[in-house]
Amino acid sequence: MNKITKTFTSAAVAVGLVAAVATSASAGEFDGVTLKVATWGGSWKANMEKIIVPKFEALGGKIEFVTGSPASSFAKLVAGRGRAPFDVMEVLDAQVGDFAQVDYLQPINLDLIPNKTNIQPFQYNNTYVGSWFTQEVICYNTEKFSELGLSAPKTYADLAAPALQDKVSLPDINSGAGLANFGGVIFAAGGDEQNIQPGLDLMKEINATKFWKRGGETKTQFETGDIYAAVVHAGWCARAARAGSPVMSVHPEIKPGVKGLAKEGWLGIMKSSENVAAAHWFINEYLTTDFQYEYAINSGVFPLNSEAIEKMKSDEINARLMEMDAGNISKMLRIDYNKVDKTAWIDGWNKTLTTN
Amino acid sequence: MENRWIAYLIPPLIVTLLLVAGSQFVFIQNSFYQDLGLGRTGTDLTLVNYLNFFTDSFYLKTFWITIKVSALASLFTLFLGFPIAYVIARMKSRLAMLLLAGIVVSTFVTIVIKVFGLIIIFSADGVLNTTLMDLGLIDRAYSIIGTQEGIVVGLMHFTIGFSVLLLYSVVVTVPPSLEYAAQIHGASRWRVYQRVIIPLCTPGFVVGGLMIFNMCMGAFTSAALLGGGRVLTLPVLVQRTVMMEVKYSTAASIAFVLLVSVILINLISLIAIRRLRSARLVIA
Repeated sequence: MNKITKTFTSAAVAVGLVAAVATSASAGEFDGVTLKVATWGGSWKANMEKIIVPKFEALGGKIEFVTGSPASSFAKLVAGRGRAPFDVMEVLDAQVGDFAQVDYLQPINLDLIPNKTNIQPFQYNNTYVGSWFTQEVICYNTEKFSELGLSAPKTYADLAAPALQDKVSLPDINSGAGLANFGGVIFAAGGDEQNIQPGLDLMKEINATKFWKRGGETKTQFETGDIYAAVVHAGWCARAARAGSPVMSVHPEIKPGVKGLAKEGWLGIMKSSENVAAAHWFINEYLTTDFQYEYAINSGVFPLNSEAIEKMKSDEINARLMEMDAGNISKMLRIDYNKVDKTAWIDGWNKTLTTN
Repeated sequence: MENRWIAYLIPPLIVTLLLVAGSQFVFIQNSFYQDLGLGRTGTDLTLVNYLNFFTDSFYLKTFWITIKVSALASLFTLFLGFPIAYVIARMKSRLAMLLLAGIVVSTFVTIVIKVFGLIIIFSADGVLNTTLMDLGLIDRAYSIIGTQEGIVVGLMHFTIGFSVLLLYSVVVTVPPSLEYAAQIHGASRWRVYQRVIIPLCTPGFVVGGLMIFNMCMGAFTSAALLGGGRVLTLPVLVQRTVMMEVKYSTAASIAFVLLVSVILINLISLIAIRRLRSARLVIA
């Protein structure tokens, strides 16, 4: 073997070794790490298992899910005095104020979230990164409305029609969508965060005998004919449509210039987490086009990722039931929970609308 | 000998005290501190949570509804369960064992599945509503969700299997020879029930009724699913207070009121029955 050949062989071996080390370092980035994520079960978890989990496992780690509503995750946090049984958590906009009081979240290093460029700057900050939002709508059975001689509802008050008695389902205040939609009803009735009485009066007038706790209940109730209309996020309306129910959605008129209601989801990293790098990685993956699109189609939430939004427009059912125009979306009502006295809202609800 | 057996009971007693009574004690202790929300409590001992409960019509109404639906469900379950238990107890074939096994197996089915079955049966397009509408008995589908009647049906569904097993064990202690003797002396079948079977089974009815009542008072799933967020019972309210409002002290006080009221209702019932029986013996 001449000198040139020897030098070439040595160089090739050296390059190979470096490449092998580099590959194994990347592949083993999260060796032995078990990331625990608090999220919903069903399609929510399934989407993560399909798209995010395999990528994390390829890096040597494992993801476990602690399923339940954000309210139950928060209750677990409080019970554990901030020692969370999870690293990352789905947080609802209505909970942001509660988290501010208990200081259980740690700052997010946005430099570790390069995919934040896929979303709008107001959708992330040093504590939270936005994950999705929902369009809260009135979903109604077009055939039943025709049979009853009712025109399409325009706002919540239209659900008080005598023909719809016992046939309307609203979100329970105890559900993830409860506070947001109650807020929508309050504003539509002429009230505001402090003056909730008009909303309670309107709710009483609607006289829904069913308050749902999980959006899936409305899908079943549409199928069994138990309800003809529901206040629910457009994704559940889409799921009912995909299951064959003849439903359509309406973004309710709430006040002049405001049509529709948005509920926002965020991601936060627990202060007690020891898997901070993995938690950042997870949040970054959440913002990829693939995941955001899959999530939107299967779970019915609206993506924040701009490319995923464009892709979603090609889905006929979503395009029919959801507002796709960015200008109109920006005009939807977003409840300012900093002004909301949650205890007063829940007390008012309990005393007016339950146990009677 | 007896003392040796008692010694075996001490370890499970300690475990029970630590796991059940210990955690209950911590929870109940919380109820005597002011609720500051988000799991936080004041530092001074106070009865303010209990005062809130007993002065707020919402809590009192919820308390009353819990007792009402539990009492009605217990009563109807006994009425439904007793004939079934009686027929099975008097069967001489192997079918009796098969039926009992069926009841036992049905108790393995989770309550959520059972309640969803009820919801399907009672749904607008369900068997019951379509049959009643086809017969012209109702002109609009009746829904049990969000009604007290619905919760009573759910609680009955939850406890009926248990009640049949319990009443079966009571009926088998009544010798059939007593029924034959009464019939030989000319008593009608109804008279035999009235004067022989029911009096002899009364202690079983009382104990069984109280056990079913206790189960109903603490039942969460049936009440939560069939109450539809509209009708609340105390267990549902405890869950809502913990999960939604994260008010542990308030929830603890509601839970303690529920616990004490169940104990009191049981004690009062047993004392009343004992006095009634003593009075009957004196008259006799």
